[in-house]
Amino acid sequence: MKLLKSIVRPNKVDEVKDALAKLNISGMTVTEVRGHGKQKGHTAIYRGKEYNVSLLPKMEIEVVVPDTIAEDAIKAIVQAARTGEIGDGRVFVLPVAESYRIRTGELES
Amino acid sequence: MSMMRPASTGAQPPRGGASAGQVPPSPDTASAGQAPLKASLDVARHELRAAITRGAGGRAALEHYADRVDALIRQLFTDAGGDAGPVAIVALGGYGRRHLCLHSDIDLLVLFGGGIGSAEERFVHSFLNPLWDLGVVIGHQVREIEDFQVLERDNPEFLLALLDARPVAGVRSVFERFGTIFHQPETHAFILRSLLALIDERHARFNGTLYQLEPDVKDAPGALRDLTATRTIALLTDPLLLRRGPADAARFDDAEDFLLRVRSTLHLECGRNQNVLSHELQERTAETLGYPGAEPRLRVERLMSDYFRHARIVSRSLEWAKRTAPVPVGTNLGLSRDGVRFIDPMQAARNPSSWLGAFQSALDEGTEVSEEALSCIQQHVDRYRADDFFADAHDRTALLRFLRPRPGLYARLSQMHDCGLLGRVFPEFQAISWRVVRDFYHKYTVDEHTLLTIRNLERLITTDSGDRLRFKGILADLQEPELLVLALLFHDVGKWRDDDHALESERMAEHVLDRLHIADEQRETVLFLIRHHLRMSLAAFRRDTEDPDIVKQFASLVGTEERLKMLCVMTLVDVQAVSPETLTPWKAELLWRLYVDTYNHLTQRYGDERIERSEAGLNELLANRPEDVTPGEISRFLEGLPQRYLHVFPREAIYRHIWLARDIKPDEVHLSLERKGAVWSLAVATLDKPFLFSNICGVLSSFGMNILRGHAFTNPNGLVLDAFEFTDEERFLELNRDAHTQLLRVMQDVVSGRAEVTARLRGREQGILQARSGQRFAPLVHTDNKASGRYTILDIVAGNALGLLYRISRVISRHGCDVDLVLIATEGEKAIDVFHITKAGAKLTEAEQIALTSDLQRTLEGTV
Repeated sequence: MKLLKSIVRPNKVDEVKDALAKLNISGMTVTEVRGHGKQKGHTAIYRGKEYNVSLLPKMEIEVVVPDTIAEDAIKAIVQAARTGEIGDGRVFVLPVAESYRIRTGELES
Repeated sequence: MSMMRPASTGAQPPRGGASAGQVPPSPDTASAGQAPLKASLDVARHELRAAITRGAGGRAALEHYADRVDALIRQLFTDAGGDAGPVAIVALGGYGRRHLCLHSDIDLLVLFGGGIGSAEERFVHSFLNPLWDLGVVIGHQVREIEDFQVLERDNPEFLLALLDARPVAGVRSVFERFGTIFHQPETHAFILRSLLALIDERHARFNGTLYQLEPDVKDAPGALRDLTATRTIALLTDPLLLRRGPADAARFDDAEDFLLRVRSTLHLECGRNQNVLSHELQERTAETLGYPGAEPRLRVERLMSDYFRHARIVSRSLEWAKRTAPVPVGTNLGLSRDGVRFIDPMQAARNPSSWLGAFQSALDEGTEVSEEALSCIQQHVDRYRADDFFADAHDRTALLRFLRPRPGLYARLSQMHDCGLLGRVFPEFQAISWRVVRDFYHKYTVDEHTLLTIRNLERLITTDSGDRLRFKGILADLQEPELLVLALLFHDVGKWRDDDHALESERMAEHVLDRLHIADEQRETVLFLIRHHLRMSLAAFRRDTEDPDIVKQFASLVGTEERLKMLCVMTLVDVQAVSPETLTPWKAELLWRLYVDTYNHLTQRYGDERIERSEAGLNELLANRPEDVTPGEISRFLEGLPQRYLHVFPREAIYRHIWLARDIKPDEVHLSLERKGAVWSLAVATLDKPFLFSNICGVLSSFGMNILRGHAFTNPNGLVLDAFEFTDEERFLELNRDAHTQLLRVMQDVVSGRAEVTARLRGREQGILQARSGQRFAPLVHTDNKASGRYTILDIVAGNALGLLYRISRVISRHGCDVDLVLIATEGEKAIDVFHITKAGAKLTEAEQIALTSDLQRTLEGTV
């Protein structure tokens, strides 16, 4: 199993969700986050006064997928979230050792 | 002692007052014609003396005596020819209450319906002289009705006496008109405050105790004055107050009758206005009043124990009234411990347009509307229809004032909702009462969600939380925040249906705005906000705001900064009212960024978006054009102006501008000036030339005008159109008949170079009133070459001061730059100006920008 942790533009969340749904991946966690990568924010000017927008609002989507479809899922996320501009985000892939269902306590494989 | 005292100014006889101390001419000089009058006065006095001797000089006897004196006054009034004119004789103070003691002054007001001339003065003399001749001690005042338009704050005793005013002779309608003018809530409140102060002063003279061995039955604590004061407090605040007091009405009346009988006896015994119940007089009074007892000591003890018993009742009642009386806060409204209530609930029930006043007063006083008043409204509200609450323009203005966001508004609106008033005033709002819409995010019924948006708005006013301060600033800048509240109230009323609610809300709000007769411009704003209340959150949270096209589209939707600000604040408070968790810092940040980007787009890029022949807005202008304006003239005028021009000005203003620009020749200036409340609008049309903008601003400042907002436009043919809104704090335009001509002449002279504005301004700038008390804001100057395709954008934020625009634009012109477009705004003490400038038709180079900004910075800091 893999944990896919994707940081995407806020307006791309729905498209990513739809793309994952097509792969029958429906369980996910979505969090509002702020941060920056290469796109170091920019300086906005309001009424002559500069103010720094260093941490940009992004969305984080976490899904856990079987190893077999991990690559398809990553592709789907990248295609859905991509605009080609700086600031499109990242997908981190982490191995998942074990996973338990809280309601029943059973180990999932 | 008389309650009157001479008027402090302008006391030329007979106007003003005469004190009772005035020595009347000897009765012997009374003319023969007075004999019957003298006889009837003697009879009246004789009767009163007899009653007093019997120990019955109480209320009934005094009222009878007052009636006799009334008849005498009426006779004298007729004899003096009073029936000829609009004049009334009014009894005041004790005489007004008909408690006229044997040697009390007779307090009179001679009240004229019109002005006082020599005929009126003659009448006053011929009316008063016989009274003096009869040996009557008079305290008189002479007034015109109009005098009562201004509250005589320096004479509270007189105002108190006026509360007992009773017409005795003359024209009834004159007296009634006086009553209407005099009985105002502010007057009542002032009298009440004065009365409380007078009571304290008087009590201090008696060391604050009623247990005097030789009490003054008029002035001592617990004596007659306190009794009257208690009744006055009730009259001014709550006529039913004494019913709930420590003494029932019968005991209170007993006390009064007793005190009056004692006082009458003192007057009879002493033969003058003497009110101290001294040891010596105690014996004689006890005897007259028929106290039993074998020896004088016992009779006196019984008298005095009666006195203290009655005085204690009066004293306790007064203290109770002082503690519990509601403070008058409006017509028929009193403020008591449980909030604002109706002084006379019956009257309130008949007058639904007065109900809003209770909520407004509660807001003003930082309290609530009392349960009692709410029940009264709840009980009667169903008898009235929506229109009954806003019968006239005054009621409608009052509603808009009520809706200005401030702490407490949510709580008052909730009270209005709970008692059924809100739903009755706005049946549209009733449609969402307790309405449940099931979705994943809303936590409250639609009506409560709506009211919570208003609570969020009022909390924003006082917030000091870091990330909300920027939105607080936007809210503080709004010119008509009540429109935002109006929009919030109705933004979700369409949710009574299950489909697209924004359009349905807008449709329903149209009915509300019709009923309120809201002006067109304001109406458009409210409907715009309702129709688009979801658009900003959609764009901010669901669209890529990095994309300039998204910002551009959103900017063209809102059109002006004012609407952008309103929609931004509306979105913030709306999202926040969905549930406590909905407005995350993350969402607030996205919203703010969209706001800033759109604001910058509106103020810095509008020069790039010019009106073209195919512009959609043009059709409407062409279709509605006045007869003498041709389609060609309209398009020639508009072509090449920024599209913003069409957003900012209503159709009528555009036609006016077209007329102004017609046949204009070099060095000519055409003006149109209009007043809207405290703000004047000036439109100036002329042909472009160097230093033009600076000269125009300079002329306005030289007349002392404080420029609040404005636009300067230049079209490609060199036509300049400047529109300013300013206040005229020195009232030059109002006070000078030819102000318009003077302004035009000076403007033409300066623009054509025949006159110099610098000299005109210098005196003012150096004037004492303009002395700058230290720069409150560090001035900001910023240039940008990227925002606009055509212009260098110059942003300036500085402390507002007379001639500021003149000084800034002069520096710009001195650098050889053309001022093509200007956007002027002020927020409180801050001036925010955006200039679109070019030099020789191109943007400024880096070096030119640096030179200009540093020069401007020095000018603004006052170092050059």
